[in-house]
Amino acid sequence: MLTSYDVSSLVIDRLCERARGRNIAVACFYFDFASQKDQSPASVLGALLKQAVNGMERVPEGIAQAYENQKKAIGGLRPQLTDIVKMLQITSSEKPTFICIDALDECVPGNRVRLLDSLNQVLRESPGTRVFVTGRPQIGPEIRRRLAGKITTLSISPKRGDIIRFLHTRLDEDTDPDAMDSRLEAYILKGIPKDVSAM
Amino acid sequence: MRLNAFLQRLGIFLVDDQTHHSSSTAQYLNHQKQTMSQYFSNNTNTLNTINVSNKFIIADGRSDILAWLSPLDPTLRHHDTRDRRVENIGEWLLQTEEFIGWHTGSGGSESDNAVLFCEGNPGVGKTFIRLI
Repeated sequence: MLTSYDVSSLVIDRLCERARGRNIAVACFYFDFASQKDQSPASVLGALLKQAVNGMERVPEGIAQAYENQKKAIGGLRPQLTDIVKMLQITSSEKPTFICIDALDECVPGNRVRLLDSLNQVLRESPGTRVFVTGRPQIGPEIRRRLAGKITTLSISPKRGDIIRFLHTRLDEDTDPDAMDSRLEAYILKGIPKDVSAM
Repeated sequence: MRLNAFLQRLGIFLVDDQTHHSSSTAQYLNHQKQTMSQYFSNNTNTLNTINVSNKFIIADGRSDILAWLSPLDPTLRHHDTRDRRVENIGEWLLQTEEFIGWHTGSGGSESDNAVLFCEGNPGVGKTFIRLI
């Protein structure tokens, strides 16, 4: 059974693997209905920023400065969304950044719009940034509208992957293994359409 | 590097001056041990940045900045998910043209495929497998 969590964590692990030893940042966030009220756009983007900064040898000057400045206010101030966006622009222009967001459909709709607009600002400023999002198809139009022209859509409905895995296992268990070679197997697997619902 | 992870928990971040790239891991660890003992013997100055014999800079206060950026820590969730994940499930996704194109930034100008949206309704897979 393939859930969006599986997909996201798989993608994140793959990205981290490839990023190891290179000057690349990987940051992830998992949305969750149960934690909606804690997952404001500022704290979500702040959490992504935190991971990007954590991977850096030094905290960028602009961020250390912003931290020092807010300390002057009584009790300190949480960074605002606009501050976070600026700081994300700083880190992502210092190193290519992969941002992974899981289950975006579980974000409060109003917050989702602000989050996407903020991400769009980061993408505009730092074209080396890559964003990976999972969610139900219903939020597709909204993502396309907010991040116009930058989006590729891929269906992760579990069907295709599960069918391929299932067939692979069956082909492996074939009682007449000589009848099957890797080319024929590849040919059969290739015959499975991308959109399995069209079968 | 375990020692590093331990130090990071204490809010201490070692930044080395690239010496360990040319020396062995054992030497590197040894350097770190020395640095750590110097750090603890120098506890009158823990709130500031300490420069230890020009080899390492211990930047303290970093964890305060990180905590200030956001109260959330999604990496905990990631580790939880990863532990539950079935081996190799969904690997096919990493082989798709869409994923590779997004990951490598190929196919047109850099910002053209900056976003990969994976859409899906969880919960249909099991039923389908049973139908086969």
